[in-house]
Amino acid sequence: MSPGSSRTRTRNVFEPLSASEVAQPWQSRFGIPEDVFSGYQFFRKAKSIWAISDAPLPRLSFESLGMRIMNIKDRPWKPTTCALQVFGKYATRNLVHLDEEQARLFLEGGTQVIGPDMKLDLAPESAFDPEPASDSASYQAFDLASDQASDPVSGPMPGYVVVFYRGEVLGCGLYSHGKLISQIPKERRAGEQPGR
Amino acid sequence: MQKTAETAKPIYFWYELLSGGMDNLERYRDIVPDYEAFKAIQSRPLPGSCRINTLKIERDALLGRLEEKGVLCRAFDWYPLGLKLDIESPGKMVENLLGYIHVQEELSMVPPLVLDPQPGETVLDLCASPGSKTTQISQMMNNRGLVIANEPSLDRVAPLRANCERLGVLNVAITRYDGRIFPRGPFDRILVDAPCSSEGRERRGPGTISRSSRTKSLELQKLQIRLLQNAVRLAKPGGVVVYSTCTYAPEENELVVNAVLDEVRLEEISLPGLIGCPGVNQWSGETLSDDLLRCARYYPHQNDTGGFFVARLIKN
Repeated sequence: MSPGSSRTRTRNVFEPLSASEVAQPWQSRFGIPEDVFSGYQFFRKAKSIWAISDAPLPRLSFESLGMRIMNIKDRPWKPTTCALQVFGKYATRNLVHLDEEQARLFLEGGTQVIGPDMKLDLAPESAFDPEPASDSASYQAFDLASDQASDPVSGPMPGYVVVFYRGEVLGCGLYSHGKLISQIPKERRAGEQPGR
Repeated sequence: MQKTAETAKPIYFWYELLSGGMDNLERYRDIVPDYEAFKAIQSRPLPGSCRINTLKIERDALLGRLEEKGVLCRAFDWYPLGLKLDIESPGKMVENLLGYIHVQEELSMVPPLVLDPQPGETVLDLCASPGSKTTQISQMMNNRGLVIANEPSLDRVAPLRANCERLGVLNVAITRYDGRIFPRGPFDRILVDAPCSSEGRERRGPGTISRSSRTKSLELQKLQIRLLQNAVRLAKPGGVVVYSTCTYAPEENELVVNAVLDEVRLEEISLPGLIGCPGVNQWSGETLSDDLLRCARYYPHQNDTGGFFVARLIKN
């Protein structure tokens, strides 16, 4: 099923997506090679994209299929922290490297000013439209072309970034107006009690 | 490893209050070796332990991180990816938040090893949440093939999903069937880590033994037998079904396995470095099949762990 055919749907079922449809936005935002996503199958359900190993799936009613890797509720699409912890290491742009103190704050879920001296690798060509999509009532098309700004901009623009510390991916951050806002899910923040 | 006397004391106090002694263990006197030591260890808190998640980090790299932080740890004698940790709240470690480790009781790592899943296979974990064993199975399969993690309770799906995501698991699909009527297979391997009276968890949550009884075990047995019967039905001929509980009651263990003996053969379990006991074939004046001796029982005083029962069944 092509994404075009389901553009107006709001059905709460898993619909298959092609690997290239999913890989392309990761390539364009983070420079992650498309072949990183081979060996998986992809599904969309409501406003989320899921990835699972490419084994044949039995005819069952599923609650989840693998890992939720993207949230497409708003524009731009948002990578999940768990997906970045798997695929983010292949990113070549829109990265932020933190020092120890900054990493601690990021893992606690904090917001911090990222100065101009920070090791920041933000690709101007993948800056996005900061306006959220307006028609939230209808099913949001998985239309990725619009996530890529056509106008080159000077200096960093807001967007989701892969946050690194000592070469390891910590998770997803939102870089906006010189600030880095941690997107680490609440239950996985340092200082909170994780589930058993 | 051991909590100080100051922290252990209130736990012991509560345990005394809640359990009214260890009377409910008395019926196991004849089947547990060194019964007095078994009884005595129940009031001692469990040492912390975790599994290294090789989906996200290599063992040496993780050990290097712990060493750098000054966290004392020791690998289990029987499983190099299992570590005893000398730290108060391992769940709060960055390594846990990033999914490099999973805080998991030592014996809880036994059933996946007995199941022995292989990359590319199709595996069912019939009673999956919170996913400690599911994610260990996924890791043993190197994120390849497919694991169906079944969990009927919606409330328990959230922690299952959260653990899978934190640990970087990409080969697990979650379903929510009643395990007794999970509809279709076939599966190469099936784990039935059944709901049980959890007597083997006394050292983690004092009071479970005081709440256990033969009557309760017989109640649970009905559910356990139906879960295991369905698992055997769903397995491929020659497929592996592992039945496990964290309880001592033979009503929930050997007597459950006994109900499917016509359809399976039992295989011996051997994990070098972990002291286990054979299953029981005499209980409540009843003599059961000698095949049941091939089940494995793990007692807390033999390895300084919780308690577990495991059986490995091969479908005819």
